[in-house]
Amino acid sequence: MSQNQSVWTSIRFWRQSAAWVTGFAVILLILLTFDTIGQITMGTDADLKNGITKRVPAPTVINYHIDYKYDQKRGHEVPVIGKKEPFFGKEWSPKEAKELLHLGKLTSQAKNCMNCHTLLGNGAYYAPDLTKAWIDPKWKDMIAMTGSKTKEEAMVKFLMDPSNNATHGRRMPNLKITKDEAMGLVAFLKHMSSIDTNGFPRGFSKGVEEFKAGGTYAH
Amino acid sequence: MLFEKFTDVVPSFWGWLNQGPLTLTIFLHTIIILPMIWLYFKEKKRLNGK
Amino acid sequence: MLTSIKNNNFKYESQKLGMMYFRVAIVLFGAQLLMGLIAAIQFLVPGFLFEVFDFSVARMVHINALVVWMLFAMIGSVYYMLPDETGIETVGIKLGKLAFWVLTAAIVVVVLVYIFIQIGPGKESTIWLINEGREYLEAPRWADIGIVVVILIFYYNVFFTFIKGRKTGIMTVMVANLLALAGLYLAGMFFTDNISIDQYWWWWVIHLWVEATWEVFVGTLAAYALVKIIGAKREIVEMWLWIEVLMLFGSGILGLGHHYFWIGTPEYWWEIGALFSSLEPVPLVAMFVHVLYDWGKEQGESGSKPAITNTPAMAWIVTNAFGNFLGAGIWGFFHTLPQVNIYTHGTQFTAAHGHLAFFGAYATILIGMMYLGIQGSVGAKRMKATFKSKMAIFLITFGVLGMTVALTIAGYEQVLIERAELGGGWDAFFTAQNLPWYVQAQVWRTIMGVVTFIGFVYLVWDLLTIGKQAQAEN
Repeated sequence: MSQNQSVWTSIRFWRQSAAWVTGFAVILLILLTFDTIGQITMGTDADLKNGITKRVPAPTVINYHIDYKYDQKRGHEVPVIGKKEPFFGKEWSPKEAKELLHLGKLTSQAKNCMNCHTLLGNGAYYAPDLTKAWIDPKWKDMIAMTGSKTKEEAMVKFLMDPSNNATHGRRMPNLKITKDEAMGLVAFLKHMSSIDTNGFPRGFSKGVEEFKAGGTYAH
Repeated sequence: MLFEKFTDVVPSFWGWLNQGPLTLTIFLHTIIILPMIWLYFKEKKRLNGK
Repeated sequence: MLTSIKNNNFKYESQKLGMMYFRVAIVLFGAQLLMGLIAAIQFLVPGFLFEVFDFSVARMVHINALVVWMLFAMIGSVYYMLPDETGIETVGIKLGKLAFWVLTAAIVVVVLVYIFIQIGPGKESTIWLINEGREYLEAPRWADIGIVVVILIFYYNVFFTFIKGRKTGIMTVMVANLLALAGLYLAGMFFTDNISIDQYWWWWVIHLWVEATWEVFVGTLAAYALVKIIGAKREIVEMWLWIEVLMLFGSGILGLGHHYFWIGTPEYWWEIGALFSSLEPVPLVAMFVHVLYDWGKEQGESGSKPAITNTPAMAWIVTNAFGNFLGAGIWGFFHTLPQVNIYTHGTQFTAAHGHLAFFGAYATILIGMMYLGIQGSVGAKRMKATFKSKMAIFLITFGVLGMTVALTIAGYEQVLIERAELGGGWDAFFTAQNLPWYVQAQVWRTIMGVVTFIGFVYLVWDLLTIGKQAQAEN
C-alpha cells in the first residue's frame, strides 16, 4: 500500500523544495550583487587619466569629451571618453567635481525629475529620457535659441527657465532651480551619459537629422 | 559562432560563465533545480518506509 | 463598511482593526484614480493645471496612493485573517490600533506635503522632509523611518500571535514572507551620488516586492479565501501554496535581473534576467488553474446547494486569477527579453503592463478581501452579489483592460517610431508623442479611465450598503 504513495502530493516535499530554492536563489543573488556592486562603483580620477574603462567613471569625467559610438565587438553603442574639454570654462578638480555631482544628484531628486522623465530608462513617460541627454543633438538648436556660447550654458539657461524656452506644447514647469543647482544638474547629466548602459538607448537619435530634413529623399 | 569571445567590460567569474548561448543562466537554473532530485528521493524513501 | 466597525459581530478586535485599514485603503484608492485622471488629461491638454499641479505631482501621488492603499489593504487582510487562522486574538491589539492611527496620520501629512509643497531646494533637507524623488519611494526619510517603526509593530503582532496560536501552513508562509517584505524596504532608504547603485538597490525594493513577496502574499490570501469562501480542502490548498512559493521565488528572485539590463550593470544580467523572468508567468498559470479547478470541483460536489458563501468576493478572486496571469504574466513577458526591452524600456509599454499587473494581481484580491471583511462584520452566513457589485466589477475590469490596450497601442507606436525609427532623444520623443496614433490612444486611455472611476463609485456604494442587505437576507 505504502509503495504507491506519491511524492508529488507530499506537502513536506514541496515545503522543503520551496525552502531550498528560495534560500539558494537568495544566496546567488547576494553573490551576484557583490560582483555587480564592485563593477558599478565609480572609478577614480587616475583611471580616467590612464584610460582605464569603468562602467561608471569618476565625477571628473565632466572634464572630458563624451561620445557614444558603435562597438563592433559588443554589438551596440558604448560611451567613448575622449580628449579633455573645459566644463563651464574650466577644469574641475576631483573634489570640486564630486561636490558638483553631489549637488546635481540631490537636485534631481529634490525637483522630482523622475516623475516626468526617465533616468536610465526608469521613471515616468511624460518627458524625454535623460540617459544620454548630454549628447542629445537638440542642444545645438538650444544653444542658438538661448543665445549661449556652449552647451552647458544653454542647458543651465533652459533649466532655470524651462517654460519660456519650450519647444512644444508640453512644457517643463519652472521648478525654481538656482544657477548652482542647474550647473549641478548639467554635471549629473554629463556624468550619466558616460555610464556604460550596454547600448541603451540603441542608435541614439540616429533618424532625427533625416526626419528634420523632411524625409528619406529630402537631402 | 556558438561560443563567442568575452565581451563584457570587466572580467569576473559570472562574466566568464557568460560566454556562450545562455550558459550562465542554464548553469544557475541547473544548480537550483538539481538538489530537488535528491529531496524527491529522500521523500520517496520516507513515504515508502512507513 | 462604515458601520462595520461599530458592529459587534466580530469575535476578535483584530478583525475590527482589519476593517479600519480597509476603510483608509478604499479612500486612497479613490485618490489614486483621481490623480490618474488628472495626469491622463495632462497628456492631452498640456496646459491643464500647468505650474499649479504639474504632471510630476499628479503622477507622484497617483503611484504613491497606489502603493499605500495596497499596503493598507494588505495589513488589513492580515489582521483580519490572523485570529481566524491562529484561533486566538492578536497579541498586541492596542499597540496595533495605535500604530494604525500613527501610520494614517503620517500618510496624510506626507500627501499634504506632496500636494502643497511639491518640491524643495537641492539639499538633504528636501529628501528628509519633502520628497525623496525616487519613483514609488518618494516618501521623505522621516516617513520612511516612521513606516519602519509601524511595520515592526505590525510584524511583532503577527509573529507572536502565530507563535502563541495554532500554526497553519498558510500562516507559516505568511509569517516568513512578511519578514522578507518588510526587510526589503530598508534597501531603499539611503542616498548615493551614483545613479547606477541608486537604481540597483531601488529595484531590490520595487521588484522583490511586486514580483516576489507581494505575489506570494497574494497566493497566501487566495489560499485563505478559497478555504473560507468555497470550503476548499486545506491540505490541497496548502500543497498548492508551497508549489507557488517554490515557483514564485525560484523565478522571481533572480528575475530581478530584467531590471539590470541598462542601468550600468554588467552584461551577464541579460541572460539571467531573460530566462528567470520568462519563467515568472509559470506560477501565475498554476495559481489560475488552481483557483478555477477548486471552484469547479466544489461547485460540482455541492449538488443543488450554492457552494459559494460570498459571491462578490469569489468574483474578485477569479478576476485576480485572470488578471494576475494576463497583466503580470503575459504583459510582463511581452517586454522582458533584452532583445525587445532595449526598445520598449521606458515607454508606454511599461505603463500598460503596470496598469494591468497592479490591478490584476493586487487590486482585485484586496477588494475581494474587503467583501470578506464586510460579510464577517455583519455575521452573514451567505453574501450575494448585488447589481452594484456586478456593475463595479464589470466597469472597473473593463476600464482597466481598456486603458491597458490603449497604452499598449501608444507603446507600440512609441517603440517603433521614437526608438526604432528615430533612435530616441528629444526630437524623436516629441515627434512620436505628437503623432495622431499616439494621441488617439491617449484619448482612449482617458475615456477608459473615466469608465474605471464610475466603476469605483459603484464599488464604494456597494461596499457601504451590501452588508445591511446581506444581514436582512440572513
